[in-house]
Amino acid sequence: MNISKRIISNLKFGGINFFLSVPCKLLSNMIAILEEDKEVFYSAVPREEEGMGICAGAFLGNKLPCIMMQNSGIGNSINAIVSLLQLYQVPVVFLISFRGTPGESVGAQGRMASVTEEILETLKIPMLHCNTERDLDKISTFTNHAKVIEGPVAVLCDFNLMKDD
Amino acid sequence: MNRFELLNLLQNTIQDELVICNIGLPSQELYKINDRPNYFYMLGSMGLASSIGLGLSLSVDKNVISIDGDGSVLMNMNTLATIANRAPANYTLLIVDNGSYGSTGDQKTFTNERTSLKDVAIGAGCQNVIECDGSETPSNLKKALGDKNNSYVIISKINTGNVAVKPIPINPITIRDRFRKIIGKVDYLK
Repeated sequence: MNISKRIISNLKFGGINFFLSVPCKLLSNMIAILEEDKEVFYSAVPREEEGMGICAGAFLGNKLPCIMMQNSGIGNSINAIVSLLQLYQVPVVFLISFRGTPGESVGAQGRMASVTEEILETLKIPMLHCNTERDLDKISTFTNHAKVIEGPVAVLCDFNLMKDD
Repeated sequence: MNRFELLNLLQNTIQDELVICNIGLPSQELYKINDRPNYFYMLGSMGLASSIGLGLSLSVDKNVISIDGDGSVLMNMNTLATIANRAPANYTLLIVDNGSYGSTGDQKTFTNERTSLKDVAIGAGCQNVIECDGSETPSNLKKALGDKNNSYVIISKINTGNVAVKPIPINPITIRDRFRKIIGKVDYLK
């Protein structure tokens, strides 16, 4: 729970005030924290691509949005990322539980994991890897980076970091 | 009545509401009829007009109208469940249902066959769902905008057909910034 608390706290410190999530068991603590948080907007959303649209609208309304999802959600959202978020230069933080990284018990997750970073590189989306607790301190600066570059950025939380939280 | 005629008719009903307009011919026709800074024209991401409007309505107090199409709602149908559960009273989804993919050559959509977006919206849990013809649409939109306690989904059943229009000549950042300036809370645009 401590790691999830620090991630949410650092995102808020970086300016995030609008959260969406598509669930993942590694995100469940963060979702539970946000459901009780009265300072920010939070909602679940059925599909990541739809979430990209909601985030774009929130930004137009002067919010700084974050969508939490598994790395599979990037695959579901590529056109929305390029032809909405990047076309209109919309800052959004993707908080990604990086399924399929070492420690993962579900073998099938490895396939999407093996192409996730390459997809993000192709999309020219800056990445912050969180492999250890020390990396969590970089999240707020990285969140602000989304505002500065006016585009989406990705925080990737490795399986091993999150699994015992 | 076709889409162009409907959009033209709505210009008397839409005032300073924030409008998110669907990609392709809907935006191009709207631009040709009456370009305004409170119109956000989608240039990509088919299917997400309803979602962009929802995110906006959750972030501002002003009325927000998403002008969407039947083909686009069919592409992002989960949006109706999210709207049913989360849309605030300042949100109206206007689905222009002409039964065809107008921007790609008027191929027929499934609303021409067995699919009723009204029934889908009700099944998704939307509380105020109105299906009407084009001529009844302005009065229903006015009712939706005037209701401060409820969001609405309006399905306007009209005929297929488009007019000759050109691509929108405004770049996306200009569309974004003039729209955000209307909202009025963006420091760097003062």
